[in-house]
Amino acid sequence: LPGLDPLSAVWVGIICLVFSSRLSTMKAASICPNDQTGCHLLPLANLFDRVIQHSARMHGISDDLHSEFELYFLPSKNQIGRVSRNCHTSTILTPNGKENAQRIAREELAEIILKLLVAWRDPLWHFHQSMSQHDEFTNFSSNKSLEMSDMVHELRKGVLKVVEKMQMLGIISNSVGDTGSPEALLTSDSAEWRFMKDYDLLYCFRRDSNKIQNYLKILKCRIVPKHGC
Amino acid sequence: CVCLYVNLNGFLGLTLGTALVTPVEPHFTECMSRDLETFRCWWSPGTFHNLSSPEELRVFYLKRNSPSSEWKECPEYSHLNRECFFDANHTSIWIPYCLQLRGQNNITYFNEDDCFSVENIVRPDPPVSLNWTLLIVSPSGLSYDVMVSWEPPPSADVSTGWMRIEYEIQYRERNATTWEALETQPHTQQTIYGLQAGTEYEVHIRTKMKGFPKFGDFSDSIFVKVTEIPLRESAVLLTLVLTFGVAGILILIMLIVVSHQQRLMMILLPPVPAPKIKGIDSELLKKGKLEELDFILNGGGLGGLPTYISDYYQDEPWVEFIEVDEEDADCGEKEDQKSSDTQRLLGLPQRSVGCFSADSHPDDDSGRASCYDTDLSEQDTHLLAASLLPGQPEDEEAFLHPDEKAPASETNKSPLIQTESEGKPTWINTDLYAQVSNVMPSGGVVLSPGQQLRIQENTEKESQKKGTLGEDTSKLNKPQFQLLVVDPDGSGYTSEITARQISTPPSSLVPGEGYQTIYPQPMETKPAAPSEPNQSPYILPDSPQTRLFAPVADYTVVQELDTHQSLLLNLPTQQPPPPCLPQHPLKAPVAIGYVTPDLLGNLSS
Repeated sequence: LPGLDPLSAVWVGIICLVFSSRLSTMKAASICPNDQTGCHLLPLANLFDRVIQHSARMHGISDDLHSEFELYFLPSKNQIGRVSRNCHTSTILTPNGKENAQRIAREELAEIILKLLVAWRDPLWHFHQSMSQHDEFTNFSSNKSLEMSDMVHELRKGVLKVVEKMQMLGIISNSVGDTGSPEALLTSDSAEWRFMKDYDLLYCFRRDSNKIQNYLKILKCRIVPKHGC
Repeated sequence: CVCLYVNLNGFLGLTLGTALVTPVEPHFTECMSRDLETFRCWWSPGTFHNLSSPEELRVFYLKRNSPSSEWKECPEYSHLNRECFFDANHTSIWIPYCLQLRGQNNITYFNEDDCFSVENIVRPDPPVSLNWTLLIVSPSGLSYDVMVSWEPPPSADVSTGWMRIEYEIQYRERNATTWEALETQPHTQQTIYGLQAGTEYEVHIRTKMKGFPKFGDFSDSIFVKVTEIPLRESAVLLTLVLTFGVAGILILIMLIVVSHQQRLMMILLPPVPAPKIKGIDSELLKKGKLEELDFILNGGGLGGLPTYISDYYQDEPWVEFIEVDEEDADCGEKEDQKSSDTQRLLGLPQRSVGCFSADSHPDDDSGRASCYDTDLSEQDTHLLAASLLPGQPEDEEAFLHPDEKAPASETNKSPLIQTESEGKPTWINTDLYAQVSNVMPSGGVVLSPGQQLRIQENTEKESQKKGTLGEDTSKLNKPQFQLLVVDPDGSGYTSEITARQISTPPSSLVPGEGYQTIYPQPMETKPAAPSEPNQSPYILPDSPQTRLFAPVADYTVVQELDTHQSLLLNLPTQQPPPPCLPQHPLKAPVAIGYVTPDLLGNLSS
């Protein structure tokens, strides 16, 4: 700097050094200064809680929509309905029981969650489109379908963040990627969901959102069991 | 159709329907899961009587997780309960199950509606280990809050997060019929607010899966009761404390107010400035401290008033003074402590006779000088005035002085003097109060005597002077008397009564009748022998003086004192005021003694 005398330059340099050192220490110094057992996992636990809450809300919305559909169309005793087709996500192998879910590897479980979330992105969007076109559905339902569609997006991002955090903490390996090719998944059954009726879509999504919620909870209690399980 | 509903406990409930009774085929009544790991199904044989034994019906299920699935038989039967139990190995979540009943001859009874997913049929077990603790009791002791805590059902795997359970508390009074339900929440404790003391409450809890609608059964009830604590004593204590506290605060405020009363009054009600009379201390007037007031007014001593006041109020033109002792002031002599106020009032010479001169007159615009230029001899006036005074040893000189000074020896004078000298001792013993009949212009006040001798003498004088004074004819007929100023104790107190003058009606004036009878009004002591001329306290006025006497009413108000210490009275309006009775508006009378404010006003008017 032309107008800077040596003394002020020295001061500026000192200040910069101090700041940089502080920044570096800030990275290292997180919530847990002494690295107590489990303390460093607190942010992860909080992330998990947030994601689980999100998935619970998503499941609630899908449940509401499904009930509303049943009122219009098919009152069933056990909320089973008449599923003419299998859900398009049935190709994804998911643990169907508690022991299976606990035996499976964490990375695999996380990956399954992500797969499910990816699989439902487009169908929900189209569902919302068809919902808004039908006049018999109220605005309330239309808003819910839109909300549902958005939540799938947000939840996927949240789960990715959790996975990232876990990978950073070294809990899981880096094998769980962004499932770099979600399109690959969809290409196999890309057309299936288009043939599903709206009601079936709702039924399938309601089931899958419950799966996601369960898997997330199990994952949290396997990784950070001391923080609210 | 009439539908029969048989629940797990074997309770038979009839639902209203049509009268037609159609045979009911075997069917499943309910399928339920407690822990999301296993589930059970119950069936009913229906009304078919063909099936004698329950073992004839068989349960088959189908898992629709793959297109190539097939019907399998129930893994575990409980024919007693007509129940089919699916253990964990045979239970899959999120997979639709379909159940069917098969009887003999492969008759299948299958209903599409009996398909389900296990997560949808979950009814969790009720919580266990319910207990309650008292949180807080209201100050009145009538209501309280209770914290109820419990344990999650052991069958539900909450710790691994496999099941997320919500709890619903319901409570009611012991003998009530309806339950009060609180909001469903996932924690294992909850507070119940607003329970009434002395009432027993029944509490039970049920659970459900989060996100699913079906509730489990209710837990066993627990009973909550808090006995009513009689807080009467504390309430009474509280009220007592409050009362005393408030009273103490009030007393404190009162003390503060009283102690700072003056200041507070100044702040709240600032005093309105009131007019004050200069030279007159209203406090002294109110308190009636006449001696002090007199002392102040007199300037701390006899005769010192004029100097004091004239110096004090020289710049106040409106201040008028009754110059009591003008002669002494002009003569520069010291005040005579012993001379009484009455002497000064009457204008009698006290010590220095030399002051009795025309030069001693105050140079004011009173016009009195003209009066003194007239026939009236002030010396005679003073002599007469002095003679009227109660006896004082020093007065002898005063009396003698004018005698010497007056060359003209009127026969009247000597007898006057004689009478004066004679009358002096009598004067002392005489009544202090007398009626004033007239006031001389020179200042002397004429009292009405009680002697006929005086009358006769006076009338002679009057007839002599009639010719000289034409304008004073009206006055001549008037018996003239001098004012008797009574000062019994020398304190300077001059009552209003003594200043009154008996008004003599002009019609009654007859030259022959020189004197009128005196009617003393507030008489304390009457003269013992008014008939005796020698002892009469009254002195005949001189003829030259009489003509100048203006007829005055019997009672008049003292107007003011002139320079010669004479009282000037209000003259009645019917008589023309003498020219020598001037008004001195510029001079305000200064009371020798106690003067009431209204009298003061009259004096100054």
